[in-house]
Amino acid sequence: MSLIGTGILRVPKEAKKGEVFRLQMVITHPMEPGTRKDAQGNLIPAHHLTKLVVSYNNREVTTINMGGAPSTNPFFAITVLADESGVIKIDYEDNKGGKWSKDAEIKVV
Amino acid sequence: MDRRTFLAAAALSVLGLTATPLALKPSFASTAPERLVKAVKEKVGVDLSSIKETDKIMIQAPTIAETATAIPITVESSIPVDQVEKVWIFADNNPVPYVLDMTVTPLSGKVFVSTRIKMGSTSNVRAILKLKDGSYVMAAREVKVTVGGC
Repeated sequence: MSLIGTGILRVPKEAKKGEVFRLQMVITHPMEPGTRKDAQGNLIPAHHLTKLVVSYNNREVTTINMGGAPSTNPFFAITVLADESGVIKIDYEDNKGGKWSKDAEIKVV
Repeated sequence: MDRRTFLAAAALSVLGLTATPLALKPSFASTAPERLVKAVKEKVGVDLSSIKETDKIMIQAPTIAETATAIPITVESSIPVDQVEKVWIFADNNPVPYVLDMTVTPLSGKVFVSTRIKMGSTSNVRAILKLKDGSYVMAAREVKVTVGGC
């Protein structure tokens, strides 16, 4: 089984209403930019994430589009304004058609 | 050369020495690599030279990168989130300068993004913000890279 596309989404267990909390994620992916060459001098084909959508109870928080520059197994952190308990979901895809998602629950008090 | 002209020449040369670092400090538009200008035009849609610099964008990055394959970059802004539409990050000297762009919504709470990027050589890391009123602002910070990671 390939690990590519496995995501870790870290959300605080609890947040106060109105608090801006930090959402951290790590996605297992080679993030090959397509500009590198292997030992024989052949170009390594690009294979990187292109899009990452963060939603909070089906409302979009942010859409991150990217090229090949983020590191291998990229880490991202963004902020989210806590307003109601629910589910935070990330959907991400790469340039070879891979699509994955991951979600986590948040309790707002 | 008499004493007076010698002193005047000495004073001038000292002045010249102290003034040089200021003159050598790169200004954004003149030192921007061509592919960065092209990438900004393509991704952001405006000329790099028309974007104003601001001190309201904070870029946290190491001065000297330990590993060029994963340089932590954090872009934060004190501009309220409801005035910002989009954020772009570029690494000036990379073969592909474009790193990422992200939309900002009121649910974001504030303008904040942190990630790790690869860099080919020493260059500026640049953040460009599109504001709701249609204007663009940017900030840059130099990261020294000893061994490239691209």
